[in-house]
Amino acid sequence: MAMTKKQQILAAARGEKLEKLPFGARIDVWYNYHSAHDTLPDRYKGWSQTDILRDQGAGAQKRFFSLTREEYRDMEVVEKHDPPYITTEYHTPVGTVAKKEVFDTSEGPWIKYEMEKLFKSEKDYPVLKYVMEHTEAADDFEEYYKLREEIGEDGMVMTASGGLWSPVQRVMREIIGYELFFYELVDHPARVEEMIEMVKDLERRKLKVAIKSDLELFNICANWSDDIQTPVFRKYFVPWFREVGDILHSHGRLVMAHTDGEMRRLNHMFRETGIDVAEAITPAPQTLVSMKEFREQLGSEVTLWGGIPSILFEPMYSDEDFDNYVKSMFREMAPGYRFIVGMGDNLPFDGDINRVRRVVELIDKYGRLPIEAQE
Amino acid sequence: MADMSLLAQALDQGDREKTVELTRKSLDGGANPQDIISKGLQAGMAAVGEKFSSGEYFLPDMLMAARAMKAALEVLSPALEKTGIPTIGKVVIGTVEGDMHDIGKNVVATFLSGNGFEVFDLGNNVSVEKFIDGVKEREPEILGMSALLTTTMPVMGRVIKALGELGLRSSVKVVVGGAPVTQDYASYIGADGYAHDGGRAVPVCRELIGK
Repeated sequence: MAMTKKQQILAAARGEKLEKLPFGARIDVWYNYHSAHDTLPDRYKGWSQTDILRDQGAGAQKRFFSLTREEYRDMEVVEKHDPPYITTEYHTPVGTVAKKEVFDTSEGPWIKYEMEKLFKSEKDYPVLKYVMEHTEAADDFEEYYKLREEIGEDGMVMTASGGLWSPVQRVMREIIGYELFFYELVDHPARVEEMIEMVKDLERRKLKVAIKSDLELFNICANWSDDIQTPVFRKYFVPWFREVGDILHSHGRLVMAHTDGEMRRLNHMFRETGIDVAEAITPAPQTLVSMKEFREQLGSEVTLWGGIPSILFEPMYSDEDFDNYVKSMFREMAPGYRFIVGMGDNLPFDGDINRVRRVVELIDKYGRLPIEAQE
Repeated sequence: MADMSLLAQALDQGDREKTVELTRKSLDGGANPQDIISKGLQAGMAAVGEKFSSGEYFLPDMLMAARAMKAALEVLSPALEKTGIPTIGKVVIGTVEGDMHDIGKNVVATFLSGNGFEVFDLGNNVSVEKFIDGVKEREPEILGMSALLTTTMPVMGRVIKALGELGLRSSVKVVVGGAPVTQDYASYIGADGYAHDGGRAVPVCRELIGK
């Protein structure tokens, strides 16, 4: 009996040999934009993303933030909604911190950005410590199971135990803010490290809850790029990945990172992390790394998922350019095991949806495994 | 005479205290503040930019150098009151409308500023009209635009088109960058330059204005 698309993706993630390249496509940027502007092609008006991908013949990737939600005790958390902004205040016995976020998907991508970070100055450290220590994890499986049922065997729900970020990234990007994080790390290293430990503890509580779900592939970190400094990465990120990876592997689960940025500085350390799948791999011309280099640098024990940069779907590239790129990329990946074809990281809003079908057809013609090595 | 190479080295290492100390020492020793900037601080910043582009340095190294540079300029500020900080050109910069991402743009702005450009940062989520107003008001040699998203990068093309329609295109060189942007895309929308990263932005801008 033929394997389903989900089975193919998971088999490649586990390193099993397949007859042809699996394909897991992501189109939510394109879909959200055209749904919001009522500009979906006539054929697809009223269709779901999954049904469009079924029609195109590709496996689906459906994003979902988290398997858990945060619950707070011994503090008052007040949310004020002023679309697209959400202000959240945490009133604790040791002080108050607040953040202002914008969340919007109407232009395509998930725009989730903290206009005002929780951390403003050194006086916020004890308050943030209190917030983290008094936050508990509760399961939020209902939405996940709904999505899993919608996709069925035609693809994967891509989610995590606690949101997009790994703990250090959450401190860096969401709580303190990028530039200030590095200044604080130089000026008050003990304070920052204590905060990282607090967030890790919270993530451990979330993982204990999330592992009760049946999710096979856990996304444990997202949006890797040049901005995750390599020495910081080795010191703070790698031990966390190994810890979480060991826990998930002992439960028979796989571990993934969304590595869609410029990876030239991070690739050589990927193998230290124990992560099984590098997803949303975005090669040249959008970054400085070719797929061949990705394969060489990440080694044969890591499954690569991606390979077609978003920009290739743009109208500036003809169908012929697109086909030539994909065919050449397949050859670079020869023999093609431990590889899932995908986008790095999405179909852009002005991309041609029918290029998804082109990829399916190119896989049928040129993606039979093993692929012959490039001369 | 103060050793400007030591100052450049301190900045290269992102050592704020040492940079400030050596700047103060150079100034007290009678060095020309303009020389301290061009031969010490800007030389250090240029080295950091090159090391970032070559992969030796990381983004935080650039941030630390920029912070040290800013602290040193504060020391020099009273001495520069009459002459001002020497500049090699004006840059108006921003992240395009619909895009809230500003890490890359901030690094580029800081680096341009540290390398002698006068930078007017319009922030993020900048509309076509605001870019045009910035060009009209500041009359820069360079307009820099950044986009992190494939959904927002077409805005860069719209700004270039608007500059043309308003007869402003020949007055300013346009440099673009950001994660999804490539050299091909920059050429496709009619930009004059493309910078893959913060380190590349400085030489690209210098080359475009011939300095």
